[in-house]
Amino acid sequence: MSISSVRAGSRKGYQAVVPESIRERISDNSAGLLVLPGLFFFSLFMFIPLIFTIYLSFTDAEPATVFQDGPGGLLGLFGLRGDEAFVGLENYIALFNDPSFWNSLGTTWLFVICSVALKVAFGVGLAMIMTSDRVSGKRYLRSIIIIPWALPPIFTITIWRGIFSSAQFGLANQFLMWIGMEPQAWFTDRWIAFSTYLITEMWLAYPFMVIITVSALQAVPEELVDASKVDGAGFFHRFINVTVPAIKRPVMFAAILTAAASFTQFLIPFVFERGAPGRSNELIILYGYQEAFNYNAYGAGAAIMMTAVVFIGVFMLVAVWKGRLAEGVGGS
Amino acid sequence: MTILESVGRKIKRDTRRALDKPSEIRKDVAYTIEGIQRGFIDPKDVAIKALSTIATVVFVFVLLIPVYWVLLMALQGDGATLYSSDSAGLIPTDVTFDAFIWVIGDLYIPGAAIGIAIPFTGIEFFMNWPRVYFLQASDYGVDSTSNFTHYLRNSLFIGAATVTIAMSLIVPAAYAFSRRQFYGRMKLLYGYILFTQIGGGLGIAALIALYAIFSNLGVTNNRLVLSIYYAAMAVPFNTWLLKTYMDSIPVSYEEAAIIDGASPFRVAYEIVLPLAKPGLATIFIFIFLVGWMEFIIAQVVLRPENYTLPIGLFMMVDQFTVPWGRFSAFALLYASPIVFVYLFAQRYIESGLSFGGVSG
Repeated sequence: MSISSVRAGSRKGYQAVVPESIRERISDNSAGLLVLPGLFFFSLFMFIPLIFTIYLSFTDAEPATVFQDGPGGLLGLFGLRGDEAFVGLENYIALFNDPSFWNSLGTTWLFVICSVALKVAFGVGLAMIMTSDRVSGKRYLRSIIIIPWALPPIFTITIWRGIFSSAQFGLANQFLMWIGMEPQAWFTDRWIAFSTYLITEMWLAYPFMVIITVSALQAVPEELVDASKVDGAGFFHRFINVTVPAIKRPVMFAAILTAAASFTQFLIPFVFERGAPGRSNELIILYGYQEAFNYNAYGAGAAIMMTAVVFIGVFMLVAVWKGRLAEGVGGS
Repeated sequence: MTILESVGRKIKRDTRRALDKPSEIRKDVAYTIEGIQRGFIDPKDVAIKALSTIATVVFVFVLLIPVYWVLLMALQGDGATLYSSDSAGLIPTDVTFDAFIWVIGDLYIPGAAIGIAIPFTGIEFFMNWPRVYFLQASDYGVDSTSNFTHYLRNSLFIGAATVTIAMSLIVPAAYAFSRRQFYGRMKLLYGYILFTQIGGGLGIAALIALYAIFSNLGVTNNRLVLSIYYAAMAVPFNTWLLKTYMDSIPVSYEEAAIIDGASPFRVAYEIVLPLAKPGLATIFIFIFLVGWMEFIIAQVVLRPENYTLPIGLFMMVDQFTVPWGRFSAFALLYASPIVFVYLFAQRYIESGLSFGGVSG
């Protein structure tokens, strides 16, 4: 019996078992099988931890209980569950009555608002310079200026940690002494520490704004600018009436994305002495991380993370709905 | 044409262009001077342009001072600190490469003894050789060396495993997205695009649960499991990127191959994949960099013997007295491959990352 006859035989069996309508569907969608492995792995590592976070946030999990052998079987989530007990909404109620949580959330929102405003202003200003007629060699300057984008975040943030070293000859302190001020210990005053976060975040994220804004500015029709010049509009009027409408949408799109990134900023406060002074500058993700890994309250930490996720989810939904984010992706 | 050939050709062209640049500038300057002398170029315009260009260059330099400063600190040598005025200022004084030697440590081929016995003849060879040193740190007055090579080995292992796993997940999926129809295709694509933006944040938010799951399954401190995690997280962005690239390959090549009787598998393997080489190279780099740059999850999951380079870097800056010279050299060596790739591939990345990928 040849191999091809085996194949024909099994095909007949297959045709006998599976009805024709289902067979057609399978053959129409068979290309989807190529997508499934990637989708499977991504979902496995994205959604199972998220669902498990939701579960943990309703328990009193801590290292002593969560790593014990659980009940096992289907109810024990096949060994994922440990000894922790279900406590309902207790974690969330404790959280919402905790002033340090509200402090962290407020700091995070302040960080998002200030850093996005700085990033947009700085990025647009820089992009205007980089497209100005009065500067030559712009192509080279542009490729140099986006270098911070290419560097690994951990590299740039540890370097900024060194710049804001409290040592007398840290770079920031040298600058202060150069302009005639006293050297600072950067992480002992809350608002000074907060402004170091803002400067670092701005430096990390401006290349993204510059890239988006430069490509938007290059799309502004020359005739419009020339026409407004002929009509006698000054630089300011031209900026408001010609440039802003042309770049509004892409800049909005970039601002929304970068706001979401600022909201989940973890590395800057973590590397900058873990939200020093005290716990006053812990942004929300770091706050949850510290609760879980430093204070051993996994349940409370998970509740904090879930609150952050809900905030991001609502923010993204509003942004997609109001700012038509999908158009920003599909357009131009 | 292989990728290497085309890269070589591009380097040649870029070098020639760079060599031509000075004479071009000289021509420009000569033209401007002549224009001013004969009166058809306004000297005021020239002055404004020159001044604003100089101002911009100075501004860009100030903006990039952090990068310059690290280079400076690294060249100050092994013992540079921020507590003495020796390493202050922005102009290097004594330049040494001590700190870099401290980071790299000894480079050698380990010594060994090998016996070869040829069967049935009773002849045996014995070979042994001592350690062969390419670079011996103590020759340069550097006694202790860093763990850089140890971290590097872990980082390379994770990078290689991540790339292998992710490529096998992404390439077929990108092909299906680009060339085939199936149920839920556009919805899934939009979902992937959404996750390219918020996936990182959600990944950190789920960190606690991820650690609990890994612990309960007993797979913390496992480099391979971490690689699988990175590969899974790299799926949305890179699938979308490769799909966009494949969209730009004309379908007519495949149609011609089908008419010549090629099977679907052969069309994909012999037509689409070779044409998609630049796209494959781009996602190869991006996926490799995921493992190279990721810090937060690696730091939670791994134990010291499996630490990667980012963790090593962080540990140097997270102590009471930071050895700044050594830290800077470590940081520069860690980031140098990325800067190299970036300067090299920038042109392609800029043009390849056009946001036009959702049509069709």
